[in-house]
Amino acid sequence: MTGATWPSPGRDIMKEADRVELSVPSKPDLLFLVRMTAAAVASRADFGYDQIEDLRLAIDELCLSLFGEEATDGRVQLLFKWGEDAIEVVATYQPGDDDHQPRQELGLAQLANELSERILDALVDEHGTDLAGGLARAWLRMRRRQGGHQ
Amino acid sequence: MTTDVNFELAENERNGLPVLAVRGEVDVSTAPELRERLLGLAEQGRTVAVVDLSEVSFVDSTALGVLVSGVKRLRTAGGDLRLVITQPHITKVFEITGLTEVFPIFASADEAVAG
Repeated sequence: MTGATWPSPGRDIMKEADRVELSVPSKPDLLFLVRMTAAAVASRADFGYDQIEDLRLAIDELCLSLFGEEATDGRVQLLFKWGEDAIEVVATYQPGDDDHQPRQELGLAQLANELSERILDALVDEHGTDLAGGLARAWLRMRRRQGGHQ
Repeated sequence: MTTDVNFELAENERNGLPVLAVRGEVDVSTAPELRERLLGLAEQGRTVAVVDLSEVSFVDSTALGVLVSGVKRLRTAGGDLRLVITQPHITKVFEITGLTEVFPIFASADEAVAG
């Protein structure tokens, strides 16, 4: 984790940002919908193939950090924003009646969490988690790399 | 062979070694099936196995965790878990997590079987 907080320095790069909102049930077998959306947004933002793949994986890890490996009756609200030089994603977990807790509080495999952290550290410029109004939230920012138009 | 929307897992035997050929996306919803197959091999007393990821288009931390658990189990029994990875973006995931130092990685199933 980068240790950055949301909103974080660099927001100016998101001026003139477009945005897409997505709400999905927090079920592992629906994560592919989130990845598809991420790929579509990255393509729309004119990111190159490598960064599209990076964002697909980063979004997957971001969502896993929120709702883990078990299906719940909660939902994840995702906000994708993109500007000339970057994409930002904020994912907020809205628990259902089962009072689900974020992945890290479930004591799920430490190894998977460590791997997830390494992946996010390597693929995005900034990422973090926090609580917003009592809801678990995770976010990331990926800047366009040089030569990204492929 | 089992099939999900974006996931297929087939098991075959080559030169006496079990080869799990995976296709599609290995994520939190499909990795449990791979975990069950690896556990099954270990329970059958197989100590060396190959997981062919050459047709895999996506792996996440859950998939990596399953593979690491598998290699630990097989090595405890004196064996190993060999991987076949050919796609650069899959190789990249193993590199950034340091797992290229953990697994023996081959460019084809034939090479992996030959060891």
